[in-house]
Amino acid sequence: MASRRRALLKIIILGDSGVGKTSLMNQYVNKRFSNQYKATIGADFLTKDTVIDDKLVTLQIWDTAGQERFQSLGVAFYRGAEACVLVYDITNPKSFEQLDSWREEFLHQAAPMDPDNFPFVLIGNKVDRESERRVSRQRALQWCKSKGSTPISYIETSAKEAVKVEGAFLEVVQMALINSAQQPPEIYVPEPITLSQAQTPYQSQSSVDSMCC
Amino acid sequence: MAEHEGKGGDGGEVPAPRPDWLPDGCEMLADGEYDAIVMGTGLKEAIMSGLLSTLGMKVLHVDRNNYYGGECASLNLTNLYNKFRPGQPPAPELGHPTRDYNVDLIPKFLMANGNLVKMLLMTKVTRYLEFKTVDGSYVVKGGKINKVPATPDEALRTSLMGIFEKRRFRNFLQYLAGYDEQQPDTFKGRDLRRMTMLQLYEDFGLDENTQSFTGHAMALQRDDTYLHKPALETIKSIQLYVRSLERYGKSPYIYPMYGLGGLPEGFSRLCAIHGGTFMLQCPVEEVLFDDSGVAWGIKATMDGVPQVAKATMLIGDPSYFPSRMVKPTGMVARSICIMDHPFNGTNDAESTQIIIPGRQVNRHNDIYVCMVSFSHCVASPGKYVAIASTTVETSDPLAELAPAFELLGPVMERFDDVSNTLTPVEDGTADRCFISESYDATSHFETTAADVQSLYERVTGQKMDLSIDPEVEQEEG
Ligand SMILES: Cc1cc2nc3c(=O)[nH]c(=O)nc-3n(C[C@H](O)[C@H](O)[C@H](O)COP(=O)(O)OP(=O)(O)OC[C@H]3O[C@@H](n4cnc5c(N)ncnc54)[C@H](O)[C@@H]3O)c2cc1C
Ligand SMILES: Nc1nc2c(ncn2[C@@H]2O[C@H](COP(=O)(O)OP(=O)(O)OP(=O)(O)O)[C@@H](O)[C@H]2O)c(=O)[nH]1
Ligand SMILES: [Mg+2]
Repeated sequence: MASRRRALLKIIILGDSGVGKTSLMNQYVNKRFSNQYKATIGADFLTKDTVIDDKLVTLQIWDTAGQERFQSLGVAFYRGAEACVLVYDITNPKSFEQLDSWREEFLHQAAPMDPDNFPFVLIGNKVDRESERRVSRQRALQWCKSKGSTPISYIETSAKEAVKVEGAFLEVVQMALINSAQQPPEIYVPEPITLSQAQTPYQSQSSVDSMCC
Repeated sequence: MAEHEGKGGDGGEVPAPRPDWLPDGCEMLADGEYDAIVMGTGLKEAIMSGLLSTLGMKVLHVDRNNYYGGECASLNLTNLYNKFRPGQPPAPELGHPTRDYNVDLIPKFLMANGNLVKMLLMTKVTRYLEFKTVDGSYVVKGGKINKVPATPDEALRTSLMGIFEKRRFRNFLQYLAGYDEQQPDTFKGRDLRRMTMLQLYEDFGLDENTQSFTGHAMALQRDDTYLHKPALETIKSIQLYVRSLERYGKSPYIYPMYGLGGLPEGFSRLCAIHGGTFMLQCPVEEVLFDDSGVAWGIKATMDGVPQVAKATMLIGDPSYFPSRMVKPTGMVARSICIMDHPFNGTNDAESTQIIIPGRQVNRHNDIYVCMVSFSHCVASPGKYVAIASTTVETSDPLAELAPAFELLGPVMERFDDVSNTLTPVEDGTADRCFISESYDATSHFETTAADVQSLYERVTGQKMDLSIDPEVEQEEG
């Protein structure tokens, strides 16, 4: 849809509370990390411009805003997502076991055209705490293989020490671009209007005006 | 903000001491204690929770359904059939059961410069939504669809009036366009604060038909009491219509991509990012009152455990409160029709508002038709969703919509609904229950916005500041 025209990719991050979703986003976009745990409030979505294969792409990364706490994310949150990042904490097996329900919830709510090949990326976060690891790499890879016809990409990161964070998001973007290139061309939809004029949809950081589908 | 439940297997969380307000045998619902509990995620409730949390209040927002929007949800085909035809699968020729459709239960359009748009801009909820203009605003006369003439040019071209009336109407519109409350030289000797609207119409020599057309289709009045009130308020409404129209050209109305359901969800997200707690599928069974009749909390039983949350105020739609606290104001009939063609006489508009004036079809209340389609991503390609609604006047409500069905022509599916409209008995100051009104039959949001303003004032004791000008650039925060 409009997102393709503007090369704007909506990406959502899902996973249990405390696995490091907000930290990953912050590390990737703002190159910042805080050790302090504050259940996410105030995080909305971050945008970042990046160049991939000579193409300028604006990423819009959506955090769950805490509405996942009681499974209360609405359909508008999922709508139009072009890739979905699933995150678990390698020191927390429960967060790994929840991955199936996150994935199913996503497929149910976002209803993508081709659910089997929808671009998911799995992130195992907090590898700086390797000594406390309770989910093996093997087990995670196994899970990735068992979903859909093409295996889900798996990347282990540390939002704290900035390990593979950039690479993980790059992978997400590439998957999303491949996926959107394979979609049938959309029916013609006229350009939407802008409610307030001050918005510059292409600016990086901060927020973007009208949410794009 | 309390600790998250699923925070991870770190353990070591110290259980909070049991608060003394918690009844025996009950657990705390979410974090237990809040400034405000909001029940129902309809648009009005969502705007309230969004605004209150930005003021720094701690908000718990619950809904009994597993989706946002309550009465104002936009449903996909599966959910639409579940609601209206339980047990019956959606007809395959309509399109994909979960992807293609977002059908509003309460159809309305936003006035481009109206108060709801101001609330969206003020809160920056616009960042979650994408809007498109509605193609046209029409009015029915003698069974035919006519464009609402709102500019001096259109006034001269309309077939709604005779040649002399057209000129008088154009003069009237030109006077309005120039009128500015702050600049006495634009008054041209008329004091609109004292003059009634009827006197103003007569001053311009406008006949009764033009008067009612202007009052109903442009100033969006629902009855004729405005005629005998000072003209200024009505003039402002007409100016709002005209300026909204000038904004995007085709009609004064705009509508969000993917349906109205995005509006309550956007305001809910605003509340969530300011720390609000959200619980869908929360089976609220009771509002709790103390001995003096003041509400202090709610109770919901989940997984067999009664859970209670406490707050200094309760806000919600009528369905969450005991029936003695609300009274009926009437009934609204609505019919949702899925069609594979646009309306005749609208130039194949892909979205329209059509008003059938009550007097044209021998009734008191106007009939409204809102039509949206694939171009706003609410139906599958080539499909249109038209919703006809009116305030019920007889014991056969659906028969009252017949003039609308005549305009619609053949439909693929039709879902009918007749519901009571309710209004709170008290204003909430005494019992701390702030109850919203049911959504009326109007096809625009101006009455909805007015109810939100009233709730806000009752809850906070302050008027909502809507001084933002939609036509002036906003700073991004
Ligand atoms: C949007 C809209 C809302 C209306 N709301 C009300 C209402 O709430 N209460 C009410 O009493 N009437 C209302 N009217 C007017 C009403 O629809 C009838 O036009 C009016 O009652 C006259 O009907 P008639 O059959 O006696 O005359 P008709 O034979 O229909 O018309 C008589 C004369 O009036 C002119 N005329 C008719 N309709 C209009 C019109 N709509 N605008 C301008 N000229 C017109 C005709 O061209 C003709 O010259 C509204 C009209 C419109 C367009
Ligand atoms: N050691 C380590 N800690 C991390 C890492 N990433 C996040 N954390 C910590 O884990 C905690 C939770 O991180 P958040 O980013 O807030 O987690 P979240 O998934 O956004 O949680 P919610 O907002 O509650 O859903 C914080 O204390 C972070 O500092 C990491 O890579 N390594
Ligand atoms: Mg977070």
